[in-house]
Amino acid sequence: MKIKAQIGMVLNLDKCIGCHTCSIPCKNVWTNRTGAEYIWFNNVETKPGIGYPKKWENQTIHKGGWKMDAKLRLRAGGQPSKLLKIFHNPDLPAIDEYYEPWTYNYDKLISTAQKKHQPSTRPQSLITGKPIRLRWGPNWEDDLAGVSETGTGDVNFNNLDYQVYLQFKKVFMFYLPRLCEHCLNPACVASCPSGALYKREEDGIVLVDQERCRGWRYCVSGCPYKKVYFNWETGRSEKCIFCYPRIEAGMTSLCAETCVGKIRYVGVILYDADKIAMTASTEKEQELYPAQARMFLDPTDPAVVAEAISQGIPQSYIEAAQQSPVYKLAVDWQLAFPLHPEFRTLPMVWYIPPLSPLVQFFDESVADVHDPEVMRIPLTYLANLLTAGDREPVRMALRRLMALRSYMRSRRLEGKADAHVLEKVGMTEEMAQGIYRLLAIAKYKDRFVIPTTKKETEVDLYRGQGAAGFDSH
Amino acid sequence: MPVFLRLSWIFLEIYEVTETEEMNTLNTLAFLVFPYLAITTCVVGHLYRYLSDPYGWNTRSSELLEKKGLKFAATIFHWGIIFTLLGHGAGLLVPQKFWDAMGMDSQTHTVFATYSGLVVGSAALLGLTLLLFRRLTKDRILATTTLNDFVTIGLLFFVVATGTANVVISLYEHFDILTTVAPWLRGIVTFTPDPTLMLRVPLRFKLHILGVLTLTGFWPFSRLVHVWSIPLTYIFRRWIIFRKREAVL
Repeated sequence: MKIKAQIGMVLNLDKCIGCHTCSIPCKNVWTNRTGAEYIWFNNVETKPGIGYPKKWENQTIHKGGWKMDAKLRLRAGGQPSKLLKIFHNPDLPAIDEYYEPWTYNYDKLISTAQKKHQPSTRPQSLITGKPIRLRWGPNWEDDLAGVSETGTGDVNFNNLDYQVYLQFKKVFMFYLPRLCEHCLNPACVASCPSGALYKREEDGIVLVDQERCRGWRYCVSGCPYKKVYFNWETGRSEKCIFCYPRIEAGMTSLCAETCVGKIRYVGVILYDADKIAMTASTEKEQELYPAQARMFLDPTDPAVVAEAISQGIPQSYIEAAQQSPVYKLAVDWQLAFPLHPEFRTLPMVWYIPPLSPLVQFFDESVADVHDPEVMRIPLTYLANLLTAGDREPVRMALRRLMALRSYMRSRRLEGKADAHVLEKVGMTEEMAQGIYRLLAIAKYKDRFVIPTTKKETEVDLYRGQGAAGFDSH
Repeated sequence: MPVFLRLSWIFLEIYEVTETEEMNTLNTLAFLVFPYLAITTCVVGHLYRYLSDPYGWNTRSSELLEKKGLKFAATIFHWGIIFTLLGHGAGLLVPQKFWDAMGMDSQTHTVFATYSGLVVGSAALLGLTLLLFRRLTKDRILATTTLNDFVTIGLLFFVVATGTANVVISLYEHFDILTTVAPWLRGIVTFTPDPTLMLRVPLRFKLHILGVLTLTGFWPFSRLVHVWSIPLTYIFRRWIIFRKREAVL
């Protein structure tokens, strides 16, 4: 058993209001440079929709992630085939799949001579400076804009009749904030010919070594989430860095810090790194989610703690793992799920599926009003997004969230706690209280349990000031 | 690096007006001094660039901005130029004695070199022409092209064009480079130079060689440094890389 620590995140989609506040500080701090204007380490998409870049989830087009035939392979092909195609990566999305960055000539608005009509300004490309038509962006389908046309390309409608759900009366939506998954089996790392991408030993954050990146571009196409980006100005790849300078100081990432809905949880997971290859090679796609959950080690188990200490995991990390909101949501309560586990990268940003209005509430044929089957968002759609199509785990999570509401209602409004509703979904009152505290009250120190970097590895930070981070040249 | 462009230009200019006694001096400058100047600049320049500009050491790929025009052009150019380089290595650096021993006399060698060179050289030239055309006609590419990029592609174009032209001309007008240019080049790389070998070489070959030497000197300061980063180790590497957090120096 090789124990490693990983910083993970859980996002509660039930509470995301799609305000994009997470994207803004991230943009302002990390990608507000020439060549990076089109890069959003964090963006919020409306589902259903095809997202940014277009159809990123459809791996028959983008060839990202891994696939299983006799053994685990990169979908885009192995090393020899990559080296042969290195002069033109056929799977690289062009910038139009994201969007051409633009600005406006604001000066024109105030410097134009007085005329009969108000002066106006057209969008102009930040690459060429010429006027352009705006055709796509990181939140182009915001609140289902244009989804009657694009929705047909959403792969999460697999096994569903999308035409039904794109009708006005049946339509549904929720938000999906997306960032790098900091996977345990990252396809971007495996795809890099230069070996410039790596996982940090200490916290599992996936980074691009800016001094070793040679611009071969395979990480961009290799990532099935399309969360590695090519900076056209510097000729190097960049990706979400999980705000590692903040993480090292025990602070959470900017996207999580600024979330107005407090939907994000950041914490430590201890896992068995010896199981990475085996887990990612799980034959059945639907088995990948439970298999990944089994990799996570119980940080309260004395045997695990002893082994972790003997392998040099810092005490602070073990303590953080014991308090980890991510472990609780993913393993203890089984409310959170990985995004598209079928990509076989073992992602570490997990999502709590969103509840939605019951559409058949007064239909007497429905025996159980807590059945997610009668919710507006089709269960199959959520299952396609989070569990490779396995409806049962998602159904159970939604039932638990419903039961929690019933239970809290009975306590608050009826004055007596109704534990019966909890039992049906395998919950205890104590567990319900814990979930309630973390999901509803959500104090800062409960949502973000992040150990500071081990001091022994630290050197003179003052001397390193200004020596890290991105440079344009 | 304008110094290099300038130097080679001066050589050419003087060459045109002098044909007699100054020729020896000029010949020595062009094919003894200049080569070592270029090679030294290349070696020292690469060291300097690698140490001073690790961020800039990459392909500067423009595929993200314009994909369609790159597919055929970049592929055919790269494979063309790779095989052209391999051909030059086998034909010029390996002595004819070796090929004689292998059972290929100089006549067969020349015929083989001419026709294979014609194929791979034309491929590189066609690719390069298309790439230059793309660079000049696609808005996004033109907007992101630096002066350095233009000099690089300009020099490459000159070298590949003169090289391919030489092959074509050789079909009609034979000149034996196996006993002139080839031993001269081997002399340079083995530090036993003999510039007199170049005295009777036609101007068209000299132009090609001077172009190559200029490109050699300019190389470390251009995007061409990516050639040395050809990622062959990828084949033997494990898939997932873990790295310990590096101490800040």
